[in-house]
Amino acid sequence: MNFLPLSFGAPMVLWGLIALPVIWWLLRLTPPSPQRETFPPLAILARIVRREETPQNSPWWLTLLRLALAALVILALADPVFNPRERTAVSGQALAIVLDNDWSSAPDWDRRVATAERLIADARGSGLPIVLALTADRPNQDIGPFDADTAIQRLNAAEPRPVPPDRPVIYERVADALETMPGATLALLTNGLAAPGDDAAFEQIVAADPSEIRWGAPDRTSLLAFTDSTNEPERFTVTAIRPESDTAPRQATAYASDERGRRIAEALITFGAGETAATGEMRVPFELRNDFASIGISGEHHAGALHLLDENSRRRRIGLLAQSAEDEAQPLLSPLYYIRRALSPYADLIEAESADRSEAIPELLDQQPAAIIMADVGTLPDAAREQLVEWIHNGGTLIRFAGPRLAAAEHDEELLPVRLRVGERSLGGTLSWSEPQPVAEFPVGSPFSDLTPPRDVTVNRQVLAEPSADIVERAWASLADGTPLVTGATREAGRVILFHITPEATWSNLPISGTFVEMLRRIVQLSQNQGSVAGEQEETATRLAPYRMISATGTMVPPGPEAEPLTPGPDATVDLAHPPGLYGSEDGVVAHNLLASDATLETLARPEAPVTITEAHYAFDSAQPLRGALLAAALGLLALDTLAVLWLGGLLRRSSRRRPASAASAILIAFLAFGLLSPDRALAQQTQTSEAEAIDAISATRIAYVITGNSSVDAISRAGIMGLSRFLTDKTALEPGEPAGVDIDTDELSFYPLIYWPIDANAPMPSEEAIARIDAYMQEGGTVLFDTRDQYSAGFDSSDSVSPETQRLRDILANLDVPPLEPVPEDHVLTKAFYITSEFPGRYNGSPLWVAADMNAASPSDRPVRSGDGVSPIMITGNDMAGAWAIDSDGQPLLPTVPSNSMQRVYSLRAGVNIMMYMLTGNYKSDQVHVPALLERLGQ
Amino acid sequence: MARIGEVTPHVTVQDALVRARTRAALVPDLMVEARRVVNTVIAGWHGRRRRGIGENFWQFRPYVEGDAISRIDWRRSAREEGHLYVRDQEWEAAHTVWLWADRSPSMLYRSNRAEVSKESRAIVHVLALAELLSRSGERIAWPGLTDPFAARNGAERLAQYVAHAEPSAERPDMKQIRRFCDVVISSDFLDPPDEIKLWLDPLTRGGIRVHLIEVADPTEETFPYTGRIEFHDPETGERLTAGRAETVAEEYRNLYAARREELRRWCKSLGWSYTVNHTDRLASEALIQVHTAMTSDMEIGR
Repeated sequence: MNFLPLSFGAPMVLWGLIALPVIWWLLRLTPPSPQRETFPPLAILARIVRREETPQNSPWWLTLLRLALAALVILALADPVFNPRERTAVSGQALAIVLDNDWSSAPDWDRRVATAERLIADARGSGLPIVLALTADRPNQDIGPFDADTAIQRLNAAEPRPVPPDRPVIYERVADALETMPGATLALLTNGLAAPGDDAAFEQIVAADPSEIRWGAPDRTSLLAFTDSTNEPERFTVTAIRPESDTAPRQATAYASDERGRRIAEALITFGAGETAATGEMRVPFELRNDFASIGISGEHHAGALHLLDENSRRRRIGLLAQSAEDEAQPLLSPLYYIRRALSPYADLIEAESADRSEAIPELLDQQPAAIIMADVGTLPDAAREQLVEWIHNGGTLIRFAGPRLAAAEHDEELLPVRLRVGERSLGGTLSWSEPQPVAEFPVGSPFSDLTPPRDVTVNRQVLAEPSADIVERAWASLADGTPLVTGATREAGRVILFHITPEATWSNLPISGTFVEMLRRIVQLSQNQGSVAGEQEETATRLAPYRMISATGTMVPPGPEAEPLTPGPDATVDLAHPPGLYGSEDGVVAHNLLASDATLETLARPEAPVTITEAHYAFDSAQPLRGALLAAALGLLALDTLAVLWLGGLLRRSSRRRPASAASAILIAFLAFGLLSPDRALAQQTQTSEAEAIDAISATRIAYVITGNSSVDAISRAGIMGLSRFLTDKTALEPGEPAGVDIDTDELSFYPLIYWPIDANAPMPSEEAIARIDAYMQEGGTVLFDTRDQYSAGFDSSDSVSPETQRLRDILANLDVPPLEPVPEDHVLTKAFYITSEFPGRYNGSPLWVAADMNAASPSDRPVRSGDGVSPIMITGNDMAGAWAIDSDGQPLLPTVPSNSMQRVYSLRAGVNIMMYMLTGNYKSDQVHVPALLERLGQ
Repeated sequence: MARIGEVTPHVTVQDALVRARTRAALVPDLMVEARRVVNTVIAGWHGRRRRGIGENFWQFRPYVEGDAISRIDWRRSAREEGHLYVRDQEWEAAHTVWLWADRSPSMLYRSNRAEVSKESRAIVHVLALAELLSRSGERIAWPGLTDPFAARNGAERLAQYVAHAEPSAERPDMKQIRRFCDVVISSDFLDPPDEIKLWLDPLTRGGIRVHLIEVADPTEETFPYTGRIEFHDPETGERLTAGRAETVAEEYRNLYAARREELRRWCKSLGWSYTVNHTDRLASEALIQVHTAMTSDMEIGR
């Protein structure tokens, strides 16, 4: 059986197949010789008994069937196994399994567990002690030795961790444990990715003198992991890496989610052949980018594929500072007005409460802003200036605007990018020859280089820079005459930027142009937040509590018991005590991501060892014992044989009376089986309105009724709508389609002009979502006709008591946006929509039909009908209208009216016609009632 | 399980004759009826109450031209002047009854529920009728074996003929049977009805009255077999195995009854009688019915 992936547990039993010819011979002999009887009317009997069943010839196919049955039983007894796995005995005194359960093991964790289980199962036979260690678990974990059952339990309890493995420590523990058990079989089930300290770890464990090493590594590591992400002015870039072993070209989709997990952007990451790192770009509006909370990779479910973003990559905090307190009365003249308008969508603006700059600047700096914008501030107090300079040197961005005060101030080397001439330059004034200057092309290398210079912007006044050698490279924007408009310079880690104009529209109309917004945005993008707010607010500024953790499968989970507070910083490590995730609190979080931006996924080298190393493949145990299947097949054949014998014996044909019953039971069984096999098919189909259903629903006007779940109510509803449809077809131009039963939980409602909703107190209360759907349906113009059907079951008691149906209706309406209601007034369109009727009876008479009260309806006494727009989105009656409309298949009424009055049924149908016409034509009839008068006038 | 049915040897005709006489004697009603028939209607030596060829005086009637001169009764004519009278005799024609019992192998069947084989019963029928008919002077005959004869010991003579004849499965040719006679056939009629109709077809013409007596073994009718049974046809030697005989019983009974019903209906349409006699019942029951049929038929007239 080498050519088939098939092996037999008891191959000797296969010799039983030799017995098949004997069985064949025996089968030929059977059935046993019959009793012989003389029987003169044989000719008559011969017409019934089939000629085939003569003893010498049982039909060949029956013999074949029985032979196959016997063969199947013999094969089943031989215990065949499909895809047998190699059963290599575990040698040595013990089995040590070291399993990597780090983040990269999550995608195929089950497979690794299955592999380990196989090893344990092999060891179980020889009763070896088993050491089981997980490299990403705590170093002080219990590693055994266990017996096989305990090992299996521990293995099943183990789970992948969203942290890198800690091989050195765990391997050392295993090596210690193996010292007492020399000659153990060592199974290293690794993740195939190199980690620091691997060599030492392997050295240590090889030194433990195992008799044999099983080396497990994933055949193909195809995982992708994020290392970095950057929020650039124009785009958001993400960087992903993949293992070295994965060299094929590959594309992956990265997506960005907001805090609620909604996907709001996607990017394609394309790995070329052999590339281990690739970047993807998300070009989405800045506002959207600020909502990014995490980046994920489609199809990757492990901790490395979820990259969390914190405040650093998101909104910047901008401090605003002006020389003078704002004049509330003239906001448009406030120097910060346009800056605020430009930046508030993109940044958190913070302003100092104190007007005193010596207090205001430290106050701003305390909030660690990414940038500070100073509008026409001349000189600063020394103490504040020192702090500001230090902040700039640490990475702050100072944006200054010119103005009369700055023009008059002395030069400040640190806080100005260029040396300024004292005084300002005026262009295009009454005493000037020069024209107001437009903005020139933005120079290459400037942050604005990709912007188009606005043509309609002119600059009337500016402060001028002293010409210097580096003035050109410091000029980020210039005027047409070459004088700089925006200059910038770096100060250590920070920047100083100067707009040579005022931030309001006095010197130039740039601040009121869109380009101003773009320019400010780009500058803000250059800045970086200087620390997080949470860090300041907490007393332990450097230790952040775990807030949301990344699980091993790449989802956000609450922190587990092992997570400890994190000290954020570049050297913060990812380990079991500090799993990747968000640290901090709701006010502000710091992202602690699994992989550093320079991380790589290198292939783990197989260690050299003096003992044999065999490969262990990660795979599920695909061995399929075929015994059960074969026995089942044999049983099936046996059943077939029984049926065949019955058929031959004429039992199935004998009683034709029973045939329908047996056929029915067979069909029933088939249906049951079908139902068991596909339990969700019908439901699954309902969840989405298919296109065909939609076309079906709108190709004719269909009146809908709500399926309450009570079959009798639903049947009456259906029959009632059917009766009304027939009446409409007879009497009006409207020919409605089949009544549509709608499930308000799932079905699309907008197809139907009217939904009849019989209230059934016994039916379950509709879900909130369903009620919300009904609400939306009513808002969008649909009408629901509620029928409590309780006109006579309610009202006989004291007026306070309500019937259960009415109570249920109240419960439903409590969640709906219901307009004020009134009984149909006499001059309402409903009373004249087709028939002129004043009452709306159903099976019962007396309950008014409630409609939305039209507060605006004018009701002049000389008009027979009130005018007014709109159609009542809701109607309520207690008259059981469907009951009166309901007809059976012969067109006969199903239910009697109360009191029994055939005219009441007619009136009820007329009311239904009126309601339907009102639904479809709205208040059209309120005009049509004047037609006689109009015709009369035309006749004159 | 013991066998239900067996094939018996051919019956000794003399033995059957004894039983036939016993049977005939054990039926006093039949005797009374037979006597009444003999005395009144059927018998060959008795008048038919109508003019015809015979020995007894029937009436005088006036001579009409064309009557044979020799038939004029001169003594009567001499009494009255001017009138010639012709002497009419009463029509005396001995009636011929053809009797035939099926002696084919299928008739040799006897089940354990029956006293006698079907052949035995059939011969008893025939001989009993022969005895009764001979006593009343009718001519009896066995088609293919004898010509019609009349004798006081007709049954004995018929028995002699039958005893010496070789039992054969062949049916006699019915074409030799002339008009205006009775035919009594006692058989099991298990052959296909169409075949039987074809065989009896010559009898449907010429005013022949036929009385069919179906001799049935109760087993054939009730089909009490269960289990796996190989059925064996004594006539054709065919074999047929029913795996579960009880499963076909109901259908078989329906077919069996349908066959009988078809024959019965066919007979009724021809004015013939059809009598069923089970071998576990008395032979005289069939005799009574056949005689009743003969009598009633007579009274209805032709």
